[in-house]
Amino acid sequence: MRFWSIRLASVLIALGACVLLQALVGHASDYEQRIVVLVGLYITLSVSLNLINGITGQFSIGHAAFYQVGAYLTGYLTLNYFSKQPIHNMLLWVILMMFVGAIGAAVAGFIVGLPSLRLRGDYLAIVTLGFGEIIRITVQNQPAIGGSYGMNVTPKYQSVALVWLLAIICIAVCRNLLKTAHGLPFLSVREDEVASQAMGVNVTRVKVTAFLIGSAFAGAAGALLAHFEGFITPTTFGMDVSFIILTMVVLGGTGSITGSIFAAALLAYLPEYLRGLKGADGQPLMIPGSNVVAWLVAVAVAVTLTRLVMNKYSGDKLKKLALYLGAFALAVVSRFIAAFFLRMIPVMANKQIPIDQVRMVIFAVTLIVIMLLRPQGIFAHHEFSWSWVKGLFKRGEVPHSAVSA
Amino acid sequence: MTLALHLVAGVDFNTLPQQLVNGLLLGAIYALIALGYTMVYGVLRLINFAHGEVYMLGAYVALFVSYFMGFRPDATHPPQATILNLVIMLLASMVVCSIVGVCIERFAYRPMRSHSRIASLITAIGVSLLLQYGGALFLPNSPPPSISESVNPFHGQSKEFTLKGPSQDLVMLVEKAKPAKDQAQAAYQGWLTSHPNADIYNLPADGQALKEAQQSSTDIFNDAEHKVEAGGVHLIIQTGQAVMLVSTVVLMGILTYMVLFTRAGRAMRAVSHDFDSAALMGINVNNIVTFTFVLGSSLAGAGAMMTATFLGTPLTTFYGLAPGVKAFVAAVLGGIGNIPGAVLGGLLMGMAENMVVWAGYSNYRDAVAFLVLIIVLLFKPGGLMGSSKVEKV
Repeated sequence: MRFWSIRLASVLIALGACVLLQALVGHASDYEQRIVVLVGLYITLSVSLNLINGITGQFSIGHAAFYQVGAYLTGYLTLNYFSKQPIHNMLLWVILMMFVGAIGAAVAGFIVGLPSLRLRGDYLAIVTLGFGEIIRITVQNQPAIGGSYGMNVTPKYQSVALVWLLAIICIAVCRNLLKTAHGLPFLSVREDEVASQAMGVNVTRVKVTAFLIGSAFAGAAGALLAHFEGFITPTTFGMDVSFIILTMVVLGGTGSITGSIFAAALLAYLPEYLRGLKGADGQPLMIPGSNVVAWLVAVAVAVTLTRLVMNKYSGDKLKKLALYLGAFALAVVSRFIAAFFLRMIPVMANKQIPIDQVRMVIFAVTLIVIMLLRPQGIFAHHEFSWSWVKGLFKRGEVPHSAVSA
Repeated sequence: MTLALHLVAGVDFNTLPQQLVNGLLLGAIYALIALGYTMVYGVLRLINFAHGEVYMLGAYVALFVSYFMGFRPDATHPPQATILNLVIMLLASMVVCSIVGVCIERFAYRPMRSHSRIASLITAIGVSLLLQYGGALFLPNSPPPSISESVNPFHGQSKEFTLKGPSQDLVMLVEKAKPAKDQAQAAYQGWLTSHPNADIYNLPADGQALKEAQQSSTDIFNDAEHKVEAGGVHLIIQTGQAVMLVSTVVLMGILTYMVLFTRAGRAMRAVSHDFDSAALMGINVNNIVTFTFVLGSSLAGAGAMMTATFLGTPLTTFYGLAPGVKAFVAAVLGGIGNIPGAVLGGLLMGMAENMVVWAGYSNYRDAVAFLVLIIVLLFKPGGLMGSSKVEKV
């Protein structure tokens, strides 16, 4: 009885939170609503990719393909069949479309999952990447769905609540999978495929299931994106989107749901924040090229010194912290020194770069820095839990994670 | 049935040899890039995702060197192009690419060597994105510049081969049409000289008849000649492309010599066979990895210089993305880590791509690489010439 009441309460809280969110941002500008929606969609995408990459250990880098399948499939259905069918309630229709998108993407995920039975590691990575490209190029060459010009999805349906509901469902499914016995085979396949097979785990089934669930959520996210934006093009789902989702998973910590959520929220918000920055004249902020390179130099210095401290110094924790701070200070100093010298090069100093063009550079640098300094990601394999929070404040005790790898 | 008809609709067998030769050329370049992927994978077990970006930088180096030598597109009097200019561009590309490749290895891949392979793969993706998007901030890319044709001493030179003449009937048709045309032309010209004041747009009846006869016989002749031209199987090879193919083969020969017959090459093969044991046998593994990156990156630089110069493709910082991915696919197709396999895979890839273009599906030329790869990997996970190892505990 207690079990079910807790379940019921959490479902109600989730629904309530979504409705509350809708009420909060419902009157905000389109631009602000879009940011909230994008954050929600990217959380869904990264958590679902995390299920494939982090939890099951199948290195897939073509997640945008499933996103695209969901978006195009449902966009096409809405455009052509919405006016011809009996459900005239847009909300019900979009919910139906979420399921359709999920099923469509799951079929695609099943097809991609099949090679994963024979391929591992980098081979699988390149096959998933290739699959993503095949889908994108095929869509680009179908005039019936707009080709490379893109497709209008009418009628639009802009609902913040649905997006976040999907994100919450995705998180809940992945978390519950990990918390129950159903999830253990996923972890065991990641750790050692051969050993788990020897222990009676049906490796084939686990891998395909991971791809099915992961791609289904991406497909549902695609359906919501199509109906929110009202316009989709193949470039919305390019290789760079796949890499952005991958960056989120890696930054948060492969295998950590908390990490994926955190990183997705951060990296989805960051470009919008950058775009919103205005210069003194009210135009989008322009920064001199010399400053961009100077920042890169600073990051390089910081990373090199930090790695030096990390690997060479094994002493008092406090002194180590001081050394890290010193490294940081040196990096900041080197930024100004580098800027001083770079400003003498006319190509660098005269080049003005709009700040939102720096977005992908920031993603790339984030990927490299995280790999060099903390390959396990910010949260590593830890999850957020109250006991973990309590553990942080207790001295002498190692915080233990809910799911340890 | 309709599908089959649709599939062969755009196929013209007379253009097949030309497409095969184009495929060979493209395949040779893919092979050159694929060698870099395969050698690095053989030594480090790492997919060097940034290899395509090294290739892109090589093309830009060639562009800047050609600018420096005065071959700007807007130059009114560019200097006389010689082979020496091309050699300078080639060497500059190769040297700069080697330096870039070695730096990437030293600062991004070496620190990751003790970590998992996926971690290095993600670093490689990061480096690749950094070069693409970071380069886009500083390198000229809109409008995309391309290397001026004036730097190519072989520009416009080509040699045409006739593999198969047109059918005898068509030749007969031309031979028959020619005297009729000549006759009608002579008659008309004769009439014109005898009537010097005639207005050719408003001729009297007899002149008009002669003019029409001349026009119609000329039309018949031209039509027949056109049919003869289209009926034969011709092959046009541009001198620049031939030079490109020969240089590629020479570079591959040098590489094979280095890998098979030098000390460094032997050490490289040893490291590729077993990294740790090679280190125990006294091989300086780091030097060998650097050597590998020098070889691979300079080949990419050479390939980039040649494609950018002889094919004149406009440069953007995404110039290396498609060739890089396809060359990687070629390397995997041939069996990654296997040098002859990379060449075979590259040639196959180039051929497959041009076959798709030949069949009238040029929009799908970028997708076919992956399709071939997926099919091959499903049936032969180790690639065509690679060995597929079954993992054991």
